[in-house]
Amino acid sequence: MASKPLNPVPPPQWVVALNSPAPNPSKAISRIPDPPGFSRSKAGGKNHTQQSTSTAAAKPVETDTLKLKKAWEIALAPSKQIPMNAIMMYMSGNSLQIFSIMMVFMLFKAPIQGLINTNTVFAKFDTESTRGKLLGVKAIYVLMQFLLLGLGVWKVNAMGLLPTTRSDWLAWESERQPLERAYFALS
Amino acid sequence: MRLQATLLLLASCVPSAVAIYRDEVDHIDFHHALLGVPSSHSTFFLKPSSSSNASLLYTLSEKSLLGAVNPKDGSVIWRQNVSRSAAGADIGILRASDGINAMVSAVGDYVSSWSALDGKLIWESWFFDEPIADLELLELKDAASPSAAKDTIALFGSKTGVVRRLDGDSGKVKWEHKDESGDVPFQVSSSSTDVFYISLQSALLKGYKIKVTSLDLLTGRQNQQLTLNSEGDISGPESVLFVGANTASPLIVWTDKSQKVLKVNVIGTKQVKTINVDNTSGGDIQSITVHAPKKLNSLPHFLVHYQTQSTSWAEVYHVNLQSATVSKAYDLPRLEGWSAFSTSTKDANVYFTRITQSEMSIVSSASHGILGRWPLQTPSMERALHAVSEVVTKGDSVAVRSAAALESGDWQLIRNGQTEWTRYEALAGALAANWAEEEYQEDLAHQLEVEGHESLYGAYAHRVKRHVKDLEHLPEWLKSLPKRILTSFVTDEVSNLDSFGISKPVIVATENGRVYALDSGKHGAVSWGVKAAETETWNPIAVITQPGIATVYADDGSSVVLNIASGEIIMRTPASTKLRSVAVLNDPPAPLIVGISEDGTPVESVDRPGFFVTLGSNGRLLGWSASNNKFPLWEFLPPQGQKIIHATARPAHDPVASIGKVLGDRSVLYKYLSPNLVFVTAVGESSATFFLLDAISGGILHATIHTGVDTTQPIASTISENWFAYSFWGDVSDGSEATGYQLVISELYESSIPNDRGPLGSASNYSSLDTLPLPYVVSNSFIIPEPISHMAVTQTRQGITTRQLLCTLPSSNSLVGIPRPVLDARRPVGRDPTSAEVEEGLFRYSPFLEFDGKWYLSHAREVAGIKKVLSAPTLLESTSLIFAFGGDIFATRATPSQAFDILGKGFSKLQLLMTIVALTVGVIILAPMVRRKQVDQIWKSS
Repeated sequence: MASKPLNPVPPPQWVVALNSPAPNPSKAISRIPDPPGFSRSKAGGKNHTQQSTSTAAAKPVETDTLKLKKAWEIALAPSKQIPMNAIMMYMSGNSLQIFSIMMVFMLFKAPIQGLINTNTVFAKFDTESTRGKLLGVKAIYVLMQFLLLGLGVWKVNAMGLLPTTRSDWLAWESERQPLERAYFALS
Repeated sequence: MRLQATLLLLASCVPSAVAIYRDEVDHIDFHHALLGVPSSHSTFFLKPSSSSNASLLYTLSEKSLLGAVNPKDGSVIWRQNVSRSAAGADIGILRASDGINAMVSAVGDYVSSWSALDGKLIWESWFFDEPIADLELLELKDAASPSAAKDTIALFGSKTGVVRRLDGDSGKVKWEHKDESGDVPFQVSSSSTDVFYISLQSALLKGYKIKVTSLDLLTGRQNQQLTLNSEGDISGPESVLFVGANTASPLIVWTDKSQKVLKVNVIGTKQVKTINVDNTSGGDIQSITVHAPKKLNSLPHFLVHYQTQSTSWAEVYHVNLQSATVSKAYDLPRLEGWSAFSTSTKDANVYFTRITQSEMSIVSSASHGILGRWPLQTPSMERALHAVSEVVTKGDSVAVRSAAALESGDWQLIRNGQTEWTRYEALAGALAANWAEEEYQEDLAHQLEVEGHESLYGAYAHRVKRHVKDLEHLPEWLKSLPKRILTSFVTDEVSNLDSFGISKPVIVATENGRVYALDSGKHGAVSWGVKAAETETWNPIAVITQPGIATVYADDGSSVVLNIASGEIIMRTPASTKLRSVAVLNDPPAPLIVGISEDGTPVESVDRPGFFVTLGSNGRLLGWSASNNKFPLWEFLPPQGQKIIHATARPAHDPVASIGKVLGDRSVLYKYLSPNLVFVTAVGESSATFFLLDAISGGILHATIHTGVDTTQPIASTISENWFAYSFWGDVSDGSEATGYQLVISELYESSIPNDRGPLGSASNYSSLDTLPLPYVVSNSFIIPEPISHMAVTQTRQGITTRQLLCTLPSSNSLVGIPRPVLDARRPVGRDPTSAEVEEGLFRYSPFLEFDGKWYLSHAREVAGIKKVLSAPTLLESTSLIFAFGGDIFATRATPSQAFDILGKGFSKLQLLMTIVALTVGVIILAPMVRRKQVDQIWKSS
């Protein structure tokens, strides 16, 4: 009972004004031009994309080329990591240490995440017109991620963690049982 | 499987060569340095040094071990094996005198002199084909050098007697007297002027006359000869009861055949005093023993001890040396039961100590007044066969300590009625041993078995009931908890490992018909010893234990079942046929024991599948079907001129953790594993052949022959897992062979090609009766510094831990455990290992294998006379129990891959606890402070 909070103090007028959106301007006011450097529609981020699409719609071919160029850049970005990763993996050695294990883990984590996010990465370039061309770009992107993954697999194999040899399956092989049994009394 | 793999990884991570640390000595091992049952005439107290009054207890035991024992605690100060006679020797003689460091022993044709203080050899000599008959020290009163070594008068020969005087310092012969008359050489005795040579001259019709020949002390020339008319009484050397050594007891004592009359002759005279034996007990006299002092200046008094089945008494006689007459002084009362008398001297006084069932008493030889009498603390003592005593007088009071050899083979020191220590010398004749299984485990196992057979619900109910019943023990457990926690901080070991089966009692059967239980948790203390055989001696061939009971099988076909906890005899089966060995069928439904008779035939046929492999007479190996004991299935005979001396098979418990050997390139070399392998050693004139046979078909799988082998040297062999090892003495036969003791290790693989399982492929089972593929054998041989007399292999629960080859080294009296990685047959020869081989753990082969000091399981101990080494697994995978017996008793625990599943001594429980306490205290103190700070922060930020 006693712990029931007191009625909050009503906020001051300026707070209310700040939080509530400005009332729709009247027609008369809207006719007044904005001062230079002020943009009324900057209030929300949504408006911005709407605006850019509206600008893209103005010059569709140019934007598509630009988008494709951007998409290609993203698709080829992993390939730039391959040499660096390869050198790092080569340097870190094949012993099982916390450092090399963590590096291998990161090596696997990045491409797998990339593969999962393939569509989201290219979502912003996805339009009706670019969809067909983006397929190729995506394919290259996936290939690049697989290359990175391949590097990881190579590394894991070099570390001897892949059960590829006979000895890895030795524990599951059983001793051959004799059908006869001898008892010895040799003293 | 996965757990095994992890453990294997763990086991392979630790270094394979580990030593015994100083603080583990006497903690993980125990050692009984035994001498054997002390002999009645060569055991005595002696002051080894004239400057000190301390005396030691010396004996030459029936095992021909000469030793000095500290009478305070019964520990062996030194011991020497004197059975170096070329001919087989029965009993040895030991003579010494007070204050003189040199003591002389003789066994067979070997005479040696030893320093009494430290057991070092002074001189030794062999008299070939002349076994010793008697030995006396010449006790000359030499004023100039009282502590100089004294000359020895020794009597040799079994047919013709030779008396020799041996120099005390060098053992050289000063003179010798040959007796060509064909008399049986019997004894010698000495006086200050003469040496008396006593022989038995066979009389015309039957019996012997005693002939006393007196010889000049300095030249050995014959002075005088006397013949005593004793032919009616004496039928052989055993008929003469006593011949004195010197002028303290210049006597020859014998009885007539009916033991009615005692005849005493003073040496050097012709008179024979006849004493009627006053036997009023009614029973037949079993034994008459004469006890006389040996010290030269003591009074010539002696005691005659009569023993019948139920009573014993004694008479004391005085000898008048001037008139050479013997007179009776007094009687010691007749008492029920047995008595053991012993003589001790103090200055010239002679004291007789009598030990009976219930008390010990002491009298002076001069009068019959009892000087001291003490009831025995442990009255139900075993019968004492003989004893030696030492008396200390102080004013009127006397104190006595007696070392009594009991009928059980124990040697007990009793001081004023109190038992000071007991040495279980009968253990020196241990012939069979085994670890006992405790009973409580069986109870649990039985309960679990019940649960396994019930329905799910029933089993659950049973289990709940069992646990509820276990709650009975909760109060006790809670009560013992504080003590357990407290003691766990104090004890050496971090955790009490007894529940892991490392301190199992050991049941030992000895040749004198006794069975002992040694508590390995208490340094091998004897927890009980019982007489199991109905006869004087027996030959136990196997001790087989089941939970709670142990069964001892003797070679006459009899067996005795004993309770492990109390030693009580539960059951006895009478002797039937003469057995050579027993086969144990350890399979369900119940273990079965089948005796194997002398010629290798199983005594009974068993209605079970299986095959027997036995050693038959005249050196052949036989294979039998279990269901047919009429005709053997196969018979293995070595080539002409060779005979089988030893055969061995893999231990019954020999688990294999991995069926292949992983090579450096991760390929697998598959092991040739078969439980049906027999490894046979056959020797010829100067060659040794080692056969590996299949036990079912009798086919030879592998054979090696070594020429130039000294077959008189020990040849030891063992087989385990997929390898076998043997050692022998190899001599040069052609230029390439090496001379010396060799240890050969061979490993068996299914194929020489990695990743190949041989002709049988991936078949899950096979029959030896079909064509059995031969193993691919890799061998390496090493030159070792000493001979190996016996080999065994450490055993662990799952076989994951690397094995050690346990070798008994008789020449250095030690037990060594050679790690298997050192004895790898695949070590690269003549080159450094490649990186793949290094990864495999192989290192370069070197032909000479020096025994690393770290391998010695017996470390500094002298573990002598070991005939057999046993090994058993414990519940801890890292630990293997080892028990060695035959002469000494030695037991230890081996951890070939280090104790990877036990917390080490470096782990400090106290430190851990203190850390936890400190952290808790810190948290309690800091918590309010942190809370206040957080609240303050909230106030400040809002």
